[in-house]
Amino acid sequence: MTSSPLNRHLPASLASESSRPARLVLVQAEDRSGVLQRVTNCLARRGFRLLSCTICQGPTSGLLSIWLRVGTGPQPYDQVTKQLAKLIDVVSVEDLTEQDPLQWVTALVEIRKVGDARDLELALDRPGVQVVRRLESSVLAAVSGPPEEVGESMRRLRQLPLVDWVVGRPLALAQHKTVPATANSKQTMSGS
Amino acid sequence: MCATALMELEDRRSKPALGRRCGAEVLLQALVAEGVEVIFGLPGGANLPIYQHLASSSIRHILVRHEQGAAHMADGYARASGRVGVCLATSGPGALNLVTGLATAHFDSVPVVAITGQVATATIGTDAFQESDVIGATMSVTKHSYQVHDARDLDAVVREAFQVASTGRPGAVLIDVPKDVQQQMVDSDPAEITRLRPHREPPPPCPQLLDRAAEWLAGARRPVILAGRGVAISRAEAALLKFAEQIDAPVGTTLLGTGVFPANHPLALGLVGFMGTGYCNLAVSNCDCLLMVGMRADDRVTCRLDEFAPHARHIVHVNIDPAELGKTVSADCQIAADADWTIRALAQRTQPRRHPRWRDQVRAWRERHPLRYPRNGQLQPQEVMAAFYALRQPSDIVVADVGLNQIWAATGWTGDQAGTFLNSGGAGTMGFALPAAIGAQAADPKRRVWAVCGEGGFVMTLQELATAVEAGLPVKVVILNNGHLGMVRQFQDDFYGGVRSAITHTVIPDFQLLGSAFGCFSAKVTSRAELAGALRSALEHPGPALVECRIDPEAGVYPIVPFGKGLADFVECPAR
Repeated sequence: MTSSPLNRHLPASLASESSRPARLVLVQAEDRSGVLQRVTNCLARRGFRLLSCTICQGPTSGLLSIWLRVGTGPQPYDQVTKQLAKLIDVVSVEDLTEQDPLQWVTALVEIRKVGDARDLELALDRPGVQVVRRLESSVLAAVSGPPEEVGESMRRLRQLPLVDWVVGRPLALAQHKTVPATANSKQTMSGS
Repeated sequence: MCATALMELEDRRSKPALGRRCGAEVLLQALVAEGVEVIFGLPGGANLPIYQHLASSSIRHILVRHEQGAAHMADGYARASGRVGVCLATSGPGALNLVTGLATAHFDSVPVVAITGQVATATIGTDAFQESDVIGATMSVTKHSYQVHDARDLDAVVREAFQVASTGRPGAVLIDVPKDVQQQMVDSDPAEITRLRPHREPPPPCPQLLDRAAEWLAGARRPVILAGRGVAISRAEAALLKFAEQIDAPVGTTLLGTGVFPANHPLALGLVGFMGTGYCNLAVSNCDCLLMVGMRADDRVTCRLDEFAPHARHIVHVNIDPAELGKTVSADCQIAADADWTIRALAQRTQPRRHPRWRDQVRAWRERHPLRYPRNGQLQPQEVMAAFYALRQPSDIVVADVGLNQIWAATGWTGDQAGTFLNSGGAGTMGFALPAAIGAQAADPKRRVWAVCGEGGFVMTLQELATAVEAGLPVKVVILNNGHLGMVRQFQDDFYGGVRSAITHTVIPDFQLLGSAFGCFSAKVTSRAELAGALRSALEHPGPALVECRIDPEAGVYPIVPFGKGLADFVECPAR
């Protein structure tokens, strides 16, 4: 590529990469010590450049939403999402590249198990809501979709005994150029 | 784990502790509750509270001479026993010395839990004496790691660490415990565990995926199966043998898969890949349907990726780790599931098949491309391995080091029991064999355990001979001494213009004297005539023994696939 005044001092690998499109990834995780280091290490180790990052924390610091704008790397992009999904603290990984960050809201909710388990399952059986981790005394559910839909889901979920929740959208990343997602780009883990 | 063992485990967990305990006691009792019987470790300033209470614990402690040895021993213990291996080190250099061993275990999917002492919580981050960021240093070589800041969390952390290490694709886990947490007094009842994260099984593969894979395998005229260590981990050897016979498919193995298919079976192809057998590489290169099960398909297996299995109309890849699917080989059918479960599911969907022409073809390749080595009067490593394997009992464990010795040991393998051939396949760690053999021996003192090393790898961890003697673990070591870093020498000869650079050991210890100095039986073999007698003497000796074999210094491994070439472009042994 032609050197511009802005990138002429960059190493050749970064200068050529800076013109390439990026992808937007949402990582939802339990807020444990070192989780951000693990996530960023996962990208760096595979040669993917982290272009920007927004973090949203739940009110009781139990849950995190991390939006990452990731540059291209030497390996297929889905390797990054697969490797991120393997991290123990990470409960879900979603590619939001195709979504309009202004029109797409995500949430991670931890709900305490009380009473009949079937009632909880019924309450979580909604469009855009997916159980991503089952703990001994609680359940983690990821909520994703347009603002109205997520808002309605959250209104219903708030009637349940919530331990923690984090809701947000990557506004700070909204202006960046993106590329179309592949068939494998959305990957959400199922709880067992 | 069997039902009885599970009940015993639950019983141990349900027994209440009495009185207040310090963190070190909580840690040790949690380890006992997980069924830990042996720890390999080395004490130091930051783990002394643990050692204070370890002395009165039911856990056997094996004192190593270097922490790397502790990690390899825990690794060997885990590979041999199928249980989680545990190692213990102090902070700073002690903890960092574990890194190579943890990487070795992690890359080969071996469940190991490492416990490290750390400086007191208040001094973390102050560059205190013997402080190191072991969490940061081990992040890329562990499945997960914990730094415990409150002794009340220790019980839950240990439980979760063992679960993480041993479930799904197994791996290494580290628990870093600051010294003040080891000394913190807590109530006898462990805190109620509410945050234990369950193992996340990948969802079961959809039946259509299995149907499609079975249809391709059943419809193939030239099928081949490649099997890796995942077959051993999921104990799928019997299912694999039955399925291979059912669809009449020849079976090759990766280095780590050595032993998962009987070496002398008519369908056995031996080792695949960079230094694999010519007939296995030709079979893979000409098959029309390839099933890869319990393996990663790394560059040592595939060699030139765009020439890997070029005639395969369909490739089916089975691995429990979804991240391994599509990472290198882009298989047409990717199944993220347990090997044993999947093979059985495929077998149920497949009718018996016979491929006489394909079998004849493979047989012809086997006759045309046997494993050759020169007969020049000098002792050849292949002769040593043949004599050694002739003495080997089926249940004997052989731990190969890394280098030419590893390939000679793998390609000459004659065993038919999975889990009896151990080696460092992913990390390729020289110095692995001796300490890993000690760990394997600790797992089952009644079995015979052998380490096969080159002299280059052996001297990297030879101090652990003292550990073997001290702990009464009668490992037998065979050193194939060619006076060179042999694999590097062969690469330089074959691929780097023949320029031999920094590969000759001009100073080599007298291994016979060295073994004696450590209190081992030791012998030196310089000719074929001495070989069987020396090996037998080593076997008859009740303690650790060391047999040095002075082999042809120019011996190499053939066939070999030149860098950048495809599997079918292997080079055979040049006439010498």
